[in-house]
Parts: sequence; C-alpha cells; structure tokens
Amino acid sequence: MSIFTRRDFLQALAASSGAVLLPEAALAQGTPKQGGTLVMDVLPEPPTLASYLSTSGPIGQVSAKFYDGLCEYNFDLKPQPSLATSWTISPDGKTITFKLRDGVKFHDGSPFTSADVQFSFTEVLKKFHPRGINTFRGLQAIDTPDPMTAVFHLETPAPFMMMALSGYESPIVPKALFAGTDIQNSKYANNPVGTGPFKFVEWQRGQYMRFDRNPNYWRPGQPYLDRIVARFIGDAQTRSAAMQTLEINYGAFGAIPYFDVARLTKIPGIASTTKGYEMQSPVVMLDFNTRVKPFDDVRVRQAISYAIDRKFVIDNVWFGFGKPATGPISSNFAPSGIYTSDVKNYNVPNGADIANKMLDDAGYKRKADGTRFEIIHDITPYGDEWQRYGEYVKQALAKIGIKATLRYEDVPTWLRRVYTDYDFQFTSNWLQNLADPVIGVDRQYSSWSIKKGTVFVNDSGWSSPETDRLMKEAAVEVDPKKRAELYHQFQKLTVEAAPIVWVMELNFVTVYDSKFKNLVVSPLGTYSPFNEVYVQT
Amino acid sequence: MSVARDRARYIARRVAGAVPTILLIVTLNFLLVHLAPGNAADVLAGEAGSATPEYMAYLRHQFGLDQPLYIQYLDYLKNVVTFDLGYSFREGMPVRDLIFQRLGPTLLLMGTTIVLSIGLGILLGIFGASRPGSLRDNVISVFALVAYATPLFWVGLMLIVLFAIDLRWLPTSGMVNIAAFYTGWQKVGDVARHLVLPAVTLSLFYMALYVRLMRSSMLEQRGMDYVVTARSKGLTERAITFRHVLRNASLPVVTMAGVQIGNLLGGSVVVETVFGWPGIGLLAFRALFSRDLNLLLGIFFVAACLVIVVNIIVDVIYTLLDPRIRLR
Repeated sequence: MSIFTRRDFLQALAASSGAVLLPEAALAQGTPKQGGTLVMDVLPEPPTLASYLSTSGPIGQVSAKFYDGLCEYNFDLKPQPSLATSWTISPDGKTITFKLRDGVKFHDGSPFTSADVQFSFTEVLKKFHPRGINTFRGLQAIDTPDPMTAVFHLETPAPFMMMALSGYESPIVPKALFAGTDIQNSKYANNPVGTGPFKFVEWQRGQYMRFDRNPNYWRPGQPYLDRIVARFIGDAQTRSAAMQTLEINYGAFGAIPYFDVARLTKIPGIASTTKGYEMQSPVVMLDFNTRVKPFDDVRVRQAISYAIDRKFVIDNVWFGFGKPATGPISSNFAPSGIYTSDVKNYNVPNGADIANKMLDDAGYKRKADGTRFEIIHDITPYGDEWQRYGEYVKQALAKIGIKATLRYEDVPTWLRRVYTDYDFQFTSNWLQNLADPVIGVDRQYSSWSIKKGTVFVNDSGWSSPETDRLMKEAAVEVDPKKRAELYHQFQKLTVEAAPIVWVMELNFVTVYDSKFKNLVVSPLGTYSPFNEVYVQT
Repeated sequence: MSVARDRARYIARRVAGAVPTILLIVTLNFLLVHLAPGNAADVLAGEAGSATPEYMAYLRHQFGLDQPLYIQYLDYLKNVVTFDLGYSFREGMPVRDLIFQRLGPTLLLMGTTIVLSIGLGILLGIFGASRPGSLRDNVISVFALVAYATPLFWVGLMLIVLFAIDLRWLPTSGMVNIAAFYTGWQKVGDVARHLVLPAVTLSLFYMALYVRLMRSSMLEQRGMDYVVTARSKGLTERAITFRHVLRNASLPVVTMAGVQIGNLLGGSVVVETVFGWPGIGLLAFRALFSRDLNLLLGIFFVAACLVIVVNIIVDVIYTLLDPRIRLR
C-alpha cells in the first residue's frame, strides 16, 4: 500500500493539526467513569502468580494489578509515593527511612503495616526473588519503630535500590499469610492477596485469568475498571485477528507482531504506543565468545562491529521500532545522566570498508574463494524477527569475507549452549537494562557475572579489572554526578573492547483499543497497576 | 450370550496385555525426553531474563535435577504406578490436575472432529463412488485433494480471516467469551460457537483422507460376487449400497481412524495453537519447550492410554460391522 490516498492525507492532516492546536491537557480530556472490562493479552501464559519468587515477564504483567510496591515511578525515572508516602536517605546512603501509608488494607481485610514491609524484603525478596537476591544483598535489617515507619539499614550504599521498589519488582506480601509457612510452596502463590487495585478471582488454565475491582483500594474512587481479564493466545496471527475484532483490548511486549502494527493502527479505534518501556530498555546485540578464536582478538570484534548496518536492521527487521545503540547502556538512562554517546562510534556509513581494512591489517587475509574464515552464528530463539536478523548478519559478514552458517535451536538448547557449555562462537542476543545499570547491565560485563550455568549473565567471557572497578564504585556511589561519571568511563572502555556488537535499542510496542484511556501512565507500562485506566464512552 | 461373554473376556485380556506396553512406553519416553539438552531450570530462569547462581541452584534442587538419572527414573516409575504423575513445578500444580483440566476441551474437539470427518468422509466417498468419473465425483476428489494438501495452520487462519474478521459470524479464538461469563445453555451455545472453526479446520484434513479411502474401497467392493448376487436378486442400487457394500467398505476407514487417533492429538497442537483452544496439545507443546518433563511424560502417558483404549474399541467395532471377524 504505497499509494498515499486522499483519505490518508486528510487523516494525517487532522492528526497533526490536532496535535498542534490542542494543548496536552485537552487531549487527555474526559472525566474518568467507573465501569468496563479490559481484556489484555498476556504472552505466554504465566507459569504461576508468585511474582515475589519469579521475574518471569508475563507474571509481572498481571501481578502488578494486585500487588503494590513501596514506590511507583514517573517518566523522569524518579520514585513516586505508593505504599510509602515519603522517604529520607541518610547522607552516607546507608539508612533509608520510609513513612508508610495509613489505612491501607490487604484484599482479605487485614491492615498493611511496617511488619509486612520488613517481612517482604528480608524474608521473601532478599532470599528468593531472582533479582532481589542481588538487589538487596547489602540490606542488613529493617527496623519497624512504629506500624507506619520502616527503616532500611544497608551494609553499603545502594543507590540503585530506590529504583527497584515498584509493585512489579518488589511486591509487598501480607506477613500474616506467609510467615511460618514454606514460602516457595505457599498456597497463596496462585491465590494472591495484595493491596493493589484489582483482586484475583479465578484462573482457568489455558484460557484466562480474571481480576475484579478492589472496592477498598487506597486511592479513593479508583480503580475505574470493573474487571481485567488476561487471555493467552499462542499464535501471533490469531492475536492480530483478535485485536482487530477487539476481542482483546490490549497487547504489550510484541504481542502484536511488528509487521502487523501499521496495518492494525490504520483501523479506527486501534492505536499503538512505544511508551511504557523506559524501565526495560532492551538492547539488541551480537555476543562474541571471547574465549575462542578469532573472537579473542579485539580487532576482529571491532571490525565486525563496523560491518553491521544498524539502520538497515532497524528499518527492515524491526519495521522502524528502534534506534541505533551506542554501547552497553541504553539512552533511556539519559535523564539520570548515566548514559553517554561520547564513545567510539562503529555506526559509520563506510563501515564495511573499515572492517575489510582492519581484518586485512590484522592478518586475516582473504583466501582464493574470497573468504577469510568460517563461523557458526547462533540465533537467539525468541521469534521470527531474530531469524531475519540472523539472515541479515550472515549477509553483512559475507561482505567482509566471513562465511557464517546459521544455527537455530529451541530455547532450552540455546540457553544451555550459550550459558552453560559456552559452546558457541557468535550469537544474537538481547539484554534488558532494567531500572538501573547495577541491576541490568553489570551482569553482562563484570568478571563476577561469568557464572557457568546461570542464564542471561556474562556469556562473552570478557571483563577487565578497570571496568570491574568502575562498576563496583558506581554501585555504591551516592552522588549522582560522580556516579554518572563512573558509568561514562565504563561505557568508553567497554565500547573500545567490543565484547558485544550493540546494534539497536529495541522499542517494544503496545497496541490497544483506543476507547481505553490512561493505559500507559508510567515507565513501567504494562507492569503498572492500571488503577487509572477508564473507558471513554 | 456367549458373544457378550467372549467380548468381555477379550477386552479384559487386551487391557492386561496393555500393561507391559505402557511400561515400555513410559520407559522409552523417560529416556527420550532426557536426551533433549537444557532443563526446566534453564528455561524458567531464562524467562525471568535474569538469575543468580543461588537461584539456579535452588531451582535445580527443587526440580530434583541434582539427583542421578536412575533415581529420577525410579521416582517417576513409582509415580506412574500409583497414577500420581508427579508435580509440575513450572505450573505449580499436580500434573494429574493439569491434564484432567485440559482433557475435556481436547476430547470435545477430538470427538467433534472424529464424528465430522468420518461422517462427511464416508458420505462424500459414497457419493463419489456411486457415479465414478462423473462431475460430482471429480469435484469431490479435487476438494479432498486440496483439503488434504493444505497446511492446517493456513486453513485455520483463512477461516479466521473470513468468518471472524470479515463476516464477524464467529469468534477468532478461545473456548468461551471470557468477558461475558455465561452460564447454563447460553454457555453451551457459546462453547459451540467457539468450537466451529477449530473443529472444521481439523476435520477437513482427516475428512479428505476418509473420502479417498471410502471411495476406492466402495469401488473395490462393487466388483465383488456378492454385489452381483444382490443385483441379480433384483435389489435396488440404493439398497445394495447401503445394506451390503457400505458395511464392508467402511472397514478400512475404521482401521485408519483407529490408527490416526494418535495423529489427531498431534494435529490438534497446531489447531489448538492457532485457535487458542485450551486443550492438551497446547499443554504438551508448552511443556516441551519449557522442558517441564513431569508434565510432558504425564501427557505422553495419558495419550498412550488413550490410543490403546481406542484400539480396543476399534477391534470391537470390527465385529459389529463384520460378524465374520471373531475376537480371540
């Protein structure tokens, strides 16, 4: 459909003039009204609802509706009050005092107090949460001087901890129901009791989950929706069809395939957005196994970094949903000053020429058949886009005389190959930077993250004493300026060493039924409580 | 009455004979699934997108993956013998409950498919064979060929595009309208509406097979001496077809249908995925890719039992269709 029709033109005109003439407030008009059911597609079906035990993505999409955290976050990535109304951090960064919200009730009617906070963090999250084990490593104790005060005592300052307090990342569970029981096998795992805006009602496996409005929610008058239903449709084409007929109203995290987004959003009543993923920040990469030849040679790694045409990948593989990545830290961290683009730039127009020259100079001469060497390129098994991405990489490498054979396996096999057996040379991969580099970035580059058998950590095997030191210092640096400076240094050194080709910052896309308002109000997007969502009639 | 007693004795003997078969299947399955690289702990941690070594170790221990293989096998055998089937750590539920939850939708889809495909297959086969080489016969043959050659998922998607998106007659997917929460007859009607597209998709493929089988079998039987005898007795063609030829000609179809029950489970994976039908195929698919071995083995076990039961039923049906066949 390359022809720009008259109707398209008028629509574009109407849309652009609307954006110019109407002030922001007028666009978000209408008074929220109570009522309505939101059907959201969650992909794949969550294995459990125990978000305090597992960080599996689909769990968080529903668990944030019934579990609250101490904080929420705004688009500047600043913590906002939720179950905590205010907090003070001591100058040395080792004591954080939270004032808690009075009058909050769990879904079973019991009151929320500082004892629940203490229990959730020290007995559950710090011990069992896959990321919490790391995030709260330095958390020594929580004092509860009164029911509405919780004082966190840290061994070392942990500035990143303030970014990990959402209901998605660190849910507050009721102590009364969990204390003294086997937390890993709690009967409340799939029958959750939280303080959030929606109550869990039922889960028909393979079909749907149902959450009903919590009439005693602590924000008066909210939530507006009567009900949220989560569905799990395995087939991408069927999801698109169900969105088109509005059998589902909301699909996030690529639930709707990228190639269908443009077609669906042309239909009146369906819209899309790439906002609401600022605390995910996925970076599409190519990982070298720096233990094996020829990728132990930094010149080869840099040459390949030059050879990849970022713009081509973004436009043709991901249909424009992304921007070039410059290094290990996503530009979503620009608001906090941590991100810098002042690093070695591999994204240059004549990249292939530079790469060819570098490989010639490094002694990897072309043989009679035009190739320098052969490699096997593994493809990360997370969907069709990655296969197309692999096909592009194969061609890009062919241009610089590297013959790549593609290998596509299923998820468990690939994970075993890359993170346990290290039996790979060069694989596509992606890493979510998450809420803070300490949580999302260190794991890919530090020497202490080279852990055989642990998935999504340092698979390339590269590290350096200097970058290790910078990461360690940044993790405990309380002055935001100094911390940003440490990370700038880290980015420069890491990009120079090129253990990874950073190709693009991927934009996830949310497709939704536009009669629903306030679906994306924070950087947590789908991992938000949805208390403000309402139906415009 | 001795026929009925013979039949009961035969069934009892077949069931007893099935026990070693099932044990063999269980053992082979166990060994096979353990050949696949990667384990449930890898996948679970992989889905989380993050993991610490402590967390991985905890998962492996919880799943019993730190035990030697023979101990895992003995544990599993004990589970099967007691019909326990173990626990799915990934789904946080006993495997037996998970399977029974899903068995209903699968049996509904399979039952509808069997009735539709055999019924239509036999009917169209008879129509085609009654005037071989006619336009009607050719149309039926071409239709059967196309239905047989078209991939299931594509048929499913095209039916969705036509009936769910363009015409809006039927829902795209699922088993119930989940925003409505119907009860009673309304719910039955709702499930039936949701059943139409997946059942038709799955039926088309098998129907095509039975049409061709039935047609050739009818033509073969028509040349038999007993047909000539019947005709010389002065019976009408209609009476010959339905009273004499049909019974004999449908034996191969019944045989084929019995063999294909296993395939039907496999084919339903595709259809269940496309239509979001909450059946056992989808569960098996999910279990495989998450290396949820307890669940996978449980499904294999139930499927094996199902195939054996169906085979016994098919053998009994033979004797009903053709009294010359004796159960021994």
